[in-house]
Order: sequence, then structure tokens, then C-alpha cells
Amino acid sequence: MRRAAILLAALAPLVTAAAETVELDPVEIRLVLRHGPWPQPLLRDPSNRVSGDAGAIALGQRLFFDARPSANGTVACATCHVPARAWTDGRAQAAGLGPLDRNTPTVLDAGLGRWFGWDGAADSLWAFAVKPMLHPAEMGGSAHGVAAVVRGDPRYACLYEAAFRAPPGADDERVLVDAAKALAAYVETIRSGRTPFDEFRDALARGDRAALARYPLAAQRGLKTFVGKGACRVCHFGPGFTNGEFHEIGIPFTLGPGRVDAGRHEGIKRLRSDPLNLLGRFSDDASGAAATQTRHVESTHASFGQFKTPSLRNVALTAPYMHNGRLATLRDVVRHYSELDMDRVHADGESLLRPLKLSERETDDLVAFLESLTDPRASDPPGPPATVAGCAS
Amino acid sequence: MSLRAIAGLAAALSVASAAANTCAAPAGFAPAGRIESRDTVLVYRTVPPRIEVGKHFAVDAIVCAKAAPSALRVDAQMPAHRHGMNYRARVAPQGDGRYRADGLLFHMPGKWQFVFDLERPGSTERLTADVLVE
Repeated sequence: MRRAAILLAALAPLVTAAAETVELDPVEIRLVLRHGPWPQPLLRDPSNRVSGDAGAIALGQRLFFDARPSANGTVACATCHVPARAWTDGRAQAAGLGPLDRNTPTVLDAGLGRWFGWDGAADSLWAFAVKPMLHPAEMGGSAHGVAAVVRGDPRYACLYEAAFRAPPGADDERVLVDAAKALAAYVETIRSGRTPFDEFRDALARGDRAALARYPLAAQRGLKTFVGKGACRVCHFGPGFTNGEFHEIGIPFTLGPGRVDAGRHEGIKRLRSDPLNLLGRFSDDASGAAATQTRHVESTHASFGQFKTPSLRNVALTAPYMHNGRLATLRDVVRHYSELDMDRVHADGESLLRPLKLSERETDDLVAFLESLTDPRASDPPGPPATVAGCAS
Repeated sequence: MSLRAIAGLAAALSVASAAANTCAAPAGFAPAGRIESRDTVLVYRTVPPRIEVGKHFAVDAIVCAKAAPSALRVDAQMPAHRHGMNYRARVAPQGDGRYRADGLLFHMPGKWQFVFDLERPGSTERLTADVLVE
């Protein structure tokens, strides 16, 4: 702690001395440093025995782009998670075989999450991967249909055996879950790279004046608002710019007459009734430690209408915004918080929320900061699936 | 202050002091905090010692009291934000006034407050301790 204090004291004059940088005090510097380093190490998922396995990743990649498991053979994971669109679809609300109510989240860095989906109804990436395959308005598939594709395609069957040390068996549900674990193993590899912000943050850590000055001034001012007046960092916390939890922020959750999207409230109900949750027989974590969150999660009155805090990495590439795609641009998002309608926030909502009343310049600066969280390669096409010995490429 | 009030205060301090004196943490138990009331002393530590935002942790507590509680509840809240945790801790008695609470998670940085509710027949004694998480 003492060493950190000395380092910060030494950094402050560096930051203020350069003409091309915005003044940050030692507290602000400490808060900025908390948003790195990036990338973060990806730990294998203990609930998925093929997490990190080359055969599973290759199988998962092929399945991700394969529409055959869908009911009519036209919808794949990649239909909504389009690599060229930073793994989203650019639509306000997703559409698979039918219309859906929520916005498609990116799968970039999804492997770092704790809860999955806007409502956190899944406690593992693999359990989450099952849902779109079976949802009637997404892929509309079935356990039997997915298993039939895996068993019937010799290359898939080979990759399956390489990953799971046994050929796909006759148990459709088991093969479906294993296919989802392979998909999760692939999605874990979809990572975002470094951004202009990360270069600034690391320059701050090492006291590199020249590198600091390369970060646009508007982004620096926006960053100062982000960690200060805006208090954005409280929820968009840490290197991933998300605390991984759920908040109600005044976005209407009515879907039409008599229909509401209850968000986290319903998500916890679905989680608890899901046989694929981490307390169930499909988890590969013998220690039970991975299920800690599932054992202890609590639904409260405030859970109603809460949705997961999204990461802000590559947020400039993933419009439109919010759980229902209601806001078209980043400027709209900043204005939402600037002019927050407190009548729309739950009476028992968090007192953290208040209209920020940002000036036009502060709004521009915050948008510039958010744009600086963009990895220039986030929308690059993925490479071909890796070859696995003994399986046709 | 009247003589009676001074005598009452001295008695209260004596009780608290007696409880405190008999509430030494065992070897290897490095307390993160100590809370004292008139009749109770509670020392606690977190496992791991450093609380990280978004990571589950446990709380070990030792309760020393004239009247032992029938149960202990452990919770936490962010008073400034008017919310608590999104997780419910489960408390397991370990014997000899020791307890372990599992499953806590602080999902935001800032000032949190541990809440220890000691259940006794007909009453609940609440002890709190502030903790800053960055």
C-alpha cells in the first residue's frame, strides 16, 4: 500500500505537467488504473470439462456458424452474433425464427461473465448456449435435432470424441449439453483486444508522458467524468467495465398491453428451475465451488425490471443500446443518464441514480471516452477452425 | 452527570470490558474488526482477508456475550445507495461462539456496512461495522 501511494504521488505531477493531458488527481489516477490491465487472463470454466480443449473449441466454432441445428435449417448462433458487427446484429431487438423482445448482446469477452443473458437466467456460458438452440423464436431446435447433427456429421462426431473422450451417445440431452459446452469453449476464445484507453491506462501506470499525450483530450475529459461526476465506474467497474450484476436504470420494461419484461426477477426464477444450472447433474465441477453464486443468489423486490450491466468495451460498435435496444446512439445513452427521469426509476431504486445534468461538451467528451474503448479488430472475421489430429479439417 | 448515572456508566463499561477481556481471538485468527455493545463483543475476519468487488467471500465471527445468541445472521448493505447485496449469506455455527457466513459478494465499490443480527429469545441485537471496498 505504501509503495502504491508513493507511485501515485510520483505520477500526479507527470500527468499535470504535460500540456496535452487533462489533470488527474491521485484519487482519479487510482480509479483509472482499476480499469486495467487488459486483456485479463481467461480462466478455464471448472463447470465445463472441455473449457480450453482444442477439439471442443473446433467443434464449437463449427456449430456456431451452422444453421442445421435450427428447426428449419436457417438460423445459426452467428445469425444474431455477427462477427462483422462486433458479434451483434445491429437490430434494436433480436430476430431468429421469430421476433424477440431483447437486444442481442455481443459475445465478445462473454467468457469473463458470472451471469449470462440480460436477466442472468443462466449461471454458466454452456447453460446459456442451450437456450437459443431450443427457444422457438430463436433457433427452435430440439435436443434430438442437435444431437442428430452432431452424431450424423462425421467431422463433428470426430471432434466430439476428441473433446469428450467418447463418441456421441444415444442420450440426446447429454449430447445437446456437450454441444453447448463445445460452443461455450469456442465463445470463451472470442476476446477483445487492446484499445486506446488501455494504452492510456498503462502509460499512466508507468508514467509515460509521451504515450499519455497520444490519448485524445476529449476522451481524457470524458474519462474524468466517468470516474468522477458521472460515477459510471461504480457499475461499469474494473477491467471489463461491468460489475456483472443487475440494475434498474429507468428504461421502461413494458412490452405492450399486459406484457412486461420483469428482467432479473424472472431470470432468478428461471435459473432456479433450470435443470442445467450449476447445482444440477450436468455441471462438471465436483467441488461445487462454481455454484456458490447459484446457492446464494437472492431475489428481492428491487430485482423487478433489473437488467445486467453490459461491458462498455467496444460499446461504440454495438448500437443500439439497452436491454431492449431503445436507445439508438451512444449520445442517446449519455443523454439518458444526463436527463434521467426519476419518475421512471423504482421508488426503492438506488439513490446512486440521479440526473447528471451534463453540458453539451461533457456529453461529447463522455462519448469520446466511450469510443476510445474500441478494439480496432473487434469486428475482424474469425480465423478458420483449428485442425485436430485424426479429424478431417 | 449524577452519581447514579456515573455508577450506571461504570457498570456498563465494566460489563463490556469483561466481555471484551474474555473475547480473545484464537491464534491464527487475525480480526478485521471488533464491535462492542453493552453485553456483547463480536470480532470478525473476512476470508480472503481482502474483499474484491464481484468476488464471493466468507466472514468468520466470534461472539462473546453474557447471553449467547440462539442464532446469528450476517448481511451487508450500502447505506448511501439504499441497497444490500444480491446474495444471501448462510451462517453455520462452529461451536464455542464461532460462526462462518458464506456467500457474501459486494457488487460495487464504495462504503459497505456489515450487519450482524444476534437473535435471542424476544429480541434481536444488531451490530454493524463499516468497510470500504475499492
